[in-house]
Amino acid sequence: MNLRTKALTKSLAVFHAATSPCNNCDIEVLDLFTPRHDVERFGITLAGSVRHADVLVVTGVPNYKTAERLKKLYEQAPKPCFVIAIGGCACGRIVFQDSYNSPCPVDEIVPVDLYIPGCPPKPEAMIAGIIKLLNKLKGK
Amino acid sequence: MEDVVGRIREKFYDQIIKFEEKSARRIYLDFKPADIQAAVKFIFTDLGCRLATVTGTDMPQGIELLYHFSYDRSGQVISLRTLLANKKDPHIESITPLIVGAEWIEREIWELLGVEFDGHPNLKHLLLIDDWPEGKHPLRHDHD
Repeated sequence: MNLRTKALTKSLAVFHAATSPCNNCDIEVLDLFTPRHDVERFGITLAGSVRHADVLVVTGVPNYKTAERLKKLYEQAPKPCFVIAIGGCACGRIVFQDSYNSPCPVDEIVPVDLYIPGCPPKPEAMIAGIIKLLNKLKGK
Repeated sequence: MEDVVGRIREKFYDQIIKFEEKSARRIYLDFKPADIQAAVKFIFTDLGCRLATVTGTDMPQGIELLYHFSYDRSGQVISLRTLLANKKDPHIESITPLIVGAEWIEREIWELLGVEFDGHPNLKHLLLIDDWPEGKHPLRHDHD
């Protein structure tokens, strides 16, 4: 493991992109940063801009408007940028797959590294997912 | 406490088609589309009710619009109901010149249900993309 990967696994800066969710997943993501779950103990912090982020967290089904913006966000992110799809909508569009305003799932717009399904997924499930991502980075 | 419903009924005695009191705090008043603007003006400006929202539904007999007003001092919700019978080309007078807050909801009803709001200052897409095909209204029953 080189120094860069080691530093990255100790301090993930997360940018949260809400592509027209119902806000349920967003509230659970917010829960991660509260004292009960506190992912900051793993060095994970929220970034105000995707240009400062290592991880792009996507919630919700992209619609025609947000799909474009999600693509732009990914292009602006410094690489390597890991994409986490949180919730059933971001993972596979569930009930919105025949919707008039839903062009494609998240993984057809940006490459997704980690899927965390659930409606919404529990914060514990998200932490388990993040640990899997960190282990993948470390090569375990 | 002011009897707002009584004042509306008195003022629009001839225009009200139907009066429904589902409960003491939930009142429905049916109007013709042409009388809506005058009624909205009276309820909003003179009685001081707050526009909660406008809702639209594609019904078998036409497009139904409901203007929901809340009178916060008594907790009453007064809904003005109107039916636009011509589904091919539904038209109604916009209330945005009276209530600025109605601009977005009228844009949304315009794009999703195809109701033309005459006199709306800025009738363009809100939720859908700008080059959405014209004449396609997702919340109509004939939309596939």
